[in-house]
Amino acid sequence: MLAEGVSPYASSLFGEKSSLSFFTNSFLLAGIVLGVLLWISRKATSNMQLIPHGWQNGFEGVVEFLYSKVEDIIGPKVAKRAFPLLASVFMFVLISNWFGLIPGVGTIGWGHGSGNLTLSSVSTPLFRPATADLNMTLGIALSFMIVWLILTISEVGVIGFLKHMFAPKGKFKGIMMLMMGVIFAFVGLIEVVSIAFRPMSLSLRLYGNIFAGETLLHTMMSILHGAPPIIEFIGSILIPLPFYFMELLVGLLQAVVFTLLCSVYILLSTAHDEEHDEHH
Amino acid sequence: MIVAASAVSAITEQFGLQWGHLIAQIIIFAIVVFVLRRYAFGPILAMLEARRKRIADGESKLEKIARDLAAAEQNAKAIVTKADDEAGRLIKEAGESANILAEKKRQEAVNEASAIIAKAREAAQLEQEQLVTQLKREFGRMVVDATSRVTGKVLNNDDQDRINRETAAQVSL
Repeated sequence: MLAEGVSPYASSLFGEKSSLSFFTNSFLLAGIVLGVLLWISRKATSNMQLIPHGWQNGFEGVVEFLYSKVEDIIGPKVAKRAFPLLASVFMFVLISNWFGLIPGVGTIGWGHGSGNLTLSSVSTPLFRPATADLNMTLGIALSFMIVWLILTISEVGVIGFLKHMFAPKGKFKGIMMLMMGVIFAFVGLIEVVSIAFRPMSLSLRLYGNIFAGETLLHTMMSILHGAPPIIEFIGSILIPLPFYFMELLVGLLQAVVFTLLCSVYILLSTAHDEEHDEHH
Repeated sequence: MIVAASAVSAITEQFGLQWGHLIAQIIIFAIVVFVLRRYAFGPILAMLEARRKRIADGESKLEKIARDLAAAEQNAKAIVTKADDEAGRLIKEAGESANILAEKKRQEAVNEASAIIAKAREAAQLEQEQLVTQLKREFGRMVVDATSRVTGKVLNNDDQDRINRETAAQVSL
């Protein structure tokens, strides 16, 4: 049941020509992750007590930890508004990453048959990690950038945002002011380009790492392809095993990196306002 | 510009970027955010805030209790000090009163003893005088008796009185 090679894109489960072509294998897994998150949330928050029970206690611990980290980075004022998005990004990315490691994801699907319920290779897997689909990672990044823009404008205002981007930092007079104005206008343009590329850099980093992990596991699984069946079977279990642990770590790391970068982007664009408020 | 467009086109084709897929994924992510915000972060953050407030209230109450306790201890200490002073004063006063009373009683005892002694002296004096009188009378009677025996004469009352007076005048006791 091995794929010929991990496809770089998600496959539509109803065919590319169908009106349901958006329903891809990564979309299906994203839906399952959504269901899992909903189930955990309801389990943790139904019948909440001041002295928490098991599920509530665990989930509260996670939320409190995340909130304190977000608050440390972007400050208490913005944290209240940005936390739901940042925490959602973290949880969704983390669970999506780890879902890719569940046996069956990427190895159950449609392909070339070689016996009853057995495929020699899978060309269209039923499940694909949501974060191994550039549409999803770009979707998360774009969603974040929209919220980032709204947060920034509401915190510092349009003028404040433009000043933050283009205005010279420091006090200059005369010709120096003019020169610095030109330089900072150019720096502002570079900043605009940098901001424009943020969704791509965020999404490609996450996608690249998770897709690379999938490919690595697949390669390790099929490295003994062509050996005697029993050896190939044992090798397909044992050889990728260490890499599963590595991918667990990579999955966590990528979720942290994505969330951390989003937090830093918010901090960079709202820091001035926070400092200003603190002075008052 | 053309290079950038062709690069975007290449990425789009190679990685399967499609508007439909992208929008579907954005929608599902938006639902994730909504669900977590509504059913997870909202209630949990509210609960954490309630707990934080309760802890802060508890701490402020604890501080108030500690302050009250310190004030009560200080108050109790002041009361004990005052009571000590009062007790000292009372003991001193009681001592002084006792001394005065003892002195008074002693004085009374002395006076009483003096009175008893004086009375005793008076009684003794009176008794002595009575005895002397009785002795003088007896002696007078004996002199009268002796005189009447010596003289053989019965003495009348006037003689007896005269002899008695003379005897009494000559007898000095």
